[in-house]
Amino acid sequence: MTEAIRHLITEDCRKSCKDTAAFNVLKDDVILVTGGTGFMGKWIAEMISYLNETENLNIKLYLLARDTKKFEDEVPHLAQKEFIKLISHDVRNLYDVPKEVNYIIHAAGTPDNRDHVSQPLKTLETFYKGTTNILDAATRLPSLKKILHLSSHTVYGKNNDESFINENYLGSLEVNNVNHVYGESKMVAETICAIYRNQFKLPITVLRPFAFIGPYHDLDKPWAINNFIRDGILGGPIRILGNGETIRSYLYASDMAVWILKTLVSGQPGDVYNIGSKVAVSLNELAQKIGASINPAIEILSKSSKENYTNISRFVPETKKIVNALGLEETHTIDDAISRTIVWNQLNKK
Amino acid sequence: MLKHILVTDSTLRDGNHAVAHQLSAHQIAIYAEAADKAGVPIVEVGHGNGLGASSMQVGLALEDDVTMLETARKHLTKSKLGIHVIPGFATIKRDLIRALDIGVDVVRVASHCTEADITQRHLGFVRERGKEAYGVLMMSHMASAAVLLEEAQKMELYGAEGIIIMDSAGAYLPSDVEEKISTLVNGLKVPVGFHAHNNLGLAIANSMTAIASGAKLLDATARGFGAGAGNAQIEVLVAVLEKTGYITGIDFYGILDASDLAEKDVMPLVPTIKSESIVSGLSGVFSGFAKHVTRISKEYGVDQRDVYRELGKRKVVGGQEDLIIEVVMDLVKNRK
Repeated sequence: MTEAIRHLITEDCRKSCKDTAAFNVLKDDVILVTGGTGFMGKWIAEMISYLNETENLNIKLYLLARDTKKFEDEVPHLAQKEFIKLISHDVRNLYDVPKEVNYIIHAAGTPDNRDHVSQPLKTLETFYKGTTNILDAATRLPSLKKILHLSSHTVYGKNNDESFINENYLGSLEVNNVNHVYGESKMVAETICAIYRNQFKLPITVLRPFAFIGPYHDLDKPWAINNFIRDGILGGPIRILGNGETIRSYLYASDMAVWILKTLVSGQPGDVYNIGSKVAVSLNELAQKIGASINPAIEILSKSSKENYTNISRFVPETKKIVNALGLEETHTIDDAISRTIVWNQLNKK
Repeated sequence: MLKHILVTDSTLRDGNHAVAHQLSAHQIAIYAEAADKAGVPIVEVGHGNGLGASSMQVGLALEDDVTMLETARKHLTKSKLGIHVIPGFATIKRDLIRALDIGVDVVRVASHCTEADITQRHLGFVRERGKEAYGVLMMSHMASAAVLLEEAQKMELYGAEGIIIMDSAGAYLPSDVEEKISTLVNGLKVPVGFHAHNNLGLAIANSMTAIASGAKLLDATARGFGAGAGNAQIEVLVAVLEKTGYITGIDFYGILDASDLAEKDVMPLVPTIKSESIVSGLSGVFSGFAKHVTRISKEYGVDQRDVYRELGKRKVVGGQEDLIIEVVMDLVKNRK
């Protein structure tokens, strides 16, 4: 990791986590993150690293994932940290976790919908078996304090006309469509959480993530913002596929990490919170912003199956609940998020 | 509002089927130059079955991939250079990287219509390299509109910027085209395309039905030069599209000149709808089988129409060329 990248990440952590003292409650505690080597896991590790250094919290972090070697290769500066321990294991076959664990963040399972459509059964199995296994293991932990389950906004199903989707929204999911297996699996996982909370009295809080952007987000992932940045860095054209009026929102990575950790320590067991940005942006606007940030002369192409869409897809969370209950804020604007992600990817280019 | 249609000229790829993959570098050079001059947006080049497909199984090409692509690249200035890629025939490391390094602009990653899963890595790789990537579902008459949509949605997720369904057997009626294209247009975000074959004399009609149903991408070849009964004839297609108010960006006289040149110097025979092609189309057999069926049927003295019927019953798909001999041998056995 170059000094420039290290500086960028540290600056991000500092900006997003102004109240480091709020995390003193985690001092000397042990956190386990399943799916711990992905985008979220890396950012949780960066933020814990920052907290350990600034507040001397001595938090120990277990990152559990199928492929920890990749993590060692991609982020050796994290893998070599004394406070980080890697566990290579598939949650589908997990039995026990280290007895010293106080907190669990269950983030296992990729949100990459290419994998969901290619391996739908494995997707369902990962969330069904993985969630059951980790919660079973949690029932045997002597010093467990809290579990945070990372769900997904896809549990809301189809958004008909909500400007901002709140935690009580109920959309429909087409159960007879293999492409919806991820949303269905996440619903099953939330139901499993409700069962363990009720039957085994486990202190589980649920977060429903929307879209994020920032360093460590692979640009090959099949999401518009990643692909626009990749196209832009390659010199263009930036290709908008489908309806350019589609509306999304993006929370910056370091903000995401703070929101997750704050929910872990202060979220109410049994409660559900959205996590994401309230700042709506259309794909057309997003492409313009990314183009302007890289090279204003870059070409932007639009490719769509049709000219006129009867409805515009919109997925923007209502975040009042989490913001008000946990005192959180978005510290990075969308423009800031875009430019920092571009800079990080350019610095990180192999 | 005038609607733009993106035409891919497959003369130097699908046409290779019609000559058992024996197109020469010279023929590729002269046609590529003519198509480029006519303003054809994408010129597709290669073995009939695509990149890396030259083999004893499906036919050895006269020229290797590098020669074909380098030759075409040299003679295309405005037109984009396209290739057809079937994962399995073409690997990323051995074939695709080299092709992109030569200067291929457009990669159309194809699979049998129910096997889109195999295209994920290739489509992803092409997008990572910043090139244009399309998904192609071959032998699309063998799947329902609903199944085609599910497979096409996978390709869309894998990074395809458009999905083309191929009527590889020339089996479609306009009503089939309308049903399938409109289902895809409604269910997909990216543009939809159609690749016609002319076994039932419907290549142009089916292409126009595709456009009327919402397709924005069409494939065609000079004089219809392609597998079996050939494809939609590009010069006719351009004429009809112009007449009906669509824009292709192709110069009409230029494409007429390119087609004249192709007839004279590229193809030994202009494709016609032979009797066996009609049976092949009705039976739903891959047009790329035509040369093999004719040769093996002749060798064993069986009626190739019976061979097509039997291949159709067995739902044989591209890549299963070895089953032609099995079918012929069964017919010989039953004859005794």
